[in-house]
Amino acid sequence: MKPTAVVTGGSKGLGEVIATFLARTGYDVVITGRSEEALARTAKRIGVRVVAGDVSDPNDRKRLADNTGDVAILVNNASELGTIRPLVESEPDELRRIFDVNVIAPIALVQALRPGLVVNITSDAAVGAYEGWGGYGSSKAALELVSRTLAAEGIHSVTVDPGDMRTDMHQAAFPGEDISDRPAPDITIPFWAWLFQQDAASLDGRRFQAQGERWEEAS
Amino acid sequence: MKTEELNFDRPQELQAVAPPEAQGRPRDDVRLLVSTPRGHTHAQFRELANFLDEGDLIVVNDSATIPASLHARGEVGRFLLNVSTRFGPRMWLAEPRWSESTPGPLPLDEGDRFAVCDEKVKLISRYPGAERLWFVEGDLAHAMTRCGEPIRYGYVDRAQPLTAYQTLFARAPGSAEMPSAARPFTTYVVDSLREKGVDIATIRLHTGVSSLEIETDEVEQHTLPPEPFRVTQATADKVNVAKRVVAIGTTVVRALESAWDETEGRVVPRSGFTRLLIHPGRGVHAVDGLLTGFHDPGASHLAMLYAVAGRDLVRDGYEEAIKGGYLWHEFGDSHLLLPR
Repeated sequence: MKPTAVVTGGSKGLGEVIATFLARTGYDVVITGRSEEALARTAKRIGVRVVAGDVSDPNDRKRLADNTGDVAILVNNASELGTIRPLVESEPDELRRIFDVNVIAPIALVQALRPGLVVNITSDAAVGAYEGWGGYGSSKAALELVSRTLAAEGIHSVTVDPGDMRTDMHQAAFPGEDISDRPAPDITIPFWAWLFQQDAASLDGRRFQAQGERWEEAS
Repeated sequence: MKTEELNFDRPQELQAVAPPEAQGRPRDDVRLLVSTPRGHTHAQFRELANFLDEGDLIVVNDSATIPASLHARGEVGRFLLNVSTRFGPRMWLAEPRWSESTPGPLPLDEGDRFAVCDEKVKLISRYPGAERLWFVEGDLAHAMTRCGEPIRYGYVDRAQPLTAYQTLFARAPGSAEMPSAARPFTTYVVDSLREKGVDIATIRLHTGVSSLEIETDEVEQHTLPPEPFRVTQATADKVNVAKRVVAIGTTVVRALESAWDETEGRVVPRSGFTRLLIHPGRGVHAVDGLLTGFHDPGASHLAMLYAVAGRDLVRDGYEEAIKGGYLWHEFGDSHLLLPR
């Protein structure tokens, strides 16, 4: 039987690239997302299963767990960007939504799916203080500590900063800017080819840059 | 840096089509051009020790060449599968080609299956930005053990045994193409270096298939496929105290610079995959000189040479090499760049 992999936000952009790669290498891949139409289109193209839903909704998470069985890999890719604006002007409700999707949902999915390896997609905004990025950046910083803590608690877990890419999310972050000089998300394929061949325990609590100068083995 | 700065005219005939042994000569019987700020010296490789000083450290790559070229057959007919890099037991980067002299790309699609030496192989994904390279799933190690031959390109006139593609320092199999800068080393050359007081240290970097010419307008925009490397504590310690570090080959520069810790300002033990592209804008920190072969116009390695020795010294040296009839490619002559 094929091992199962779940990719949240798997209908487009980076999520689609990861889902495609895992499906081709023999995983039974389940993608999630909020747009049933986009999910169905992608599923048909790359041959994966679909469970539509919002990762921050407990009922949707339960439906996902009911449809997956044993999960080898969980990729927490779905993210909420929010509005790029100074923290003092940010709405508490929007910040709550960002943390729900980017921090609470990944933890809840780990609880629900008990995956063999958790891959958490992060951002350079998790480590650098960029004007206007406080909500998203602090949620990703929290996710990185969640990832390291999971590893300390015995659940194989790793964070990956994919780098700048030509995606809908990146365009939303830079409205009106021409982002055509950024690489397409398939630029990360060599990294996934490397990562999914590593022993899960050797990845525990570590952070990688998919477009970085090197991917180090644990010493 | 503009990519056009890597261009020059090399007369077609200046290429080695066979190793010196094929004419009954020892490996170290190739020529050596030594380029320093004081000028260029024409010498023989056997005389290498004359150009190094007591306290210098040479660093060599101990990766051995694997029989990476495999005959394959699939729906497109018969072709060559040149294995480049092992990502895992069943995950490889490889280059399908029509033949030694005719590159791809072949009309292949993701999910295609074909046979390599009775081994079933599946195409997983194109390599982003390099149409000729593919991620391939299958037991290619087994296939290479049984059917592999060394990778050869059209300019080499006849097949050479795998031993012709191993250097004196080769220990760990993994390179698709020979780390060829160390090919002319013989025990005579090593002994003469030791007598001179030159120490030797080792890194490991498994080379992939040669990169093509840079196609982007700016060198910095070019990406190189990642290669597995390892720098040990013992080597880091030697590099950090040596008077002068001379890399034997571009692979050594890539490995040592990948192990350079910017915060600590020294080389640290490190292993993994490196994507590092070395160009003048980045510069080098861990190496002072480089012994290498002669590189083709437009090759990304030239940007590394410029970073190590400065553009003018390299270009002057190449003019000198062309005037002097030096030979290019893996069985050809050597170039020692000592900018300080």
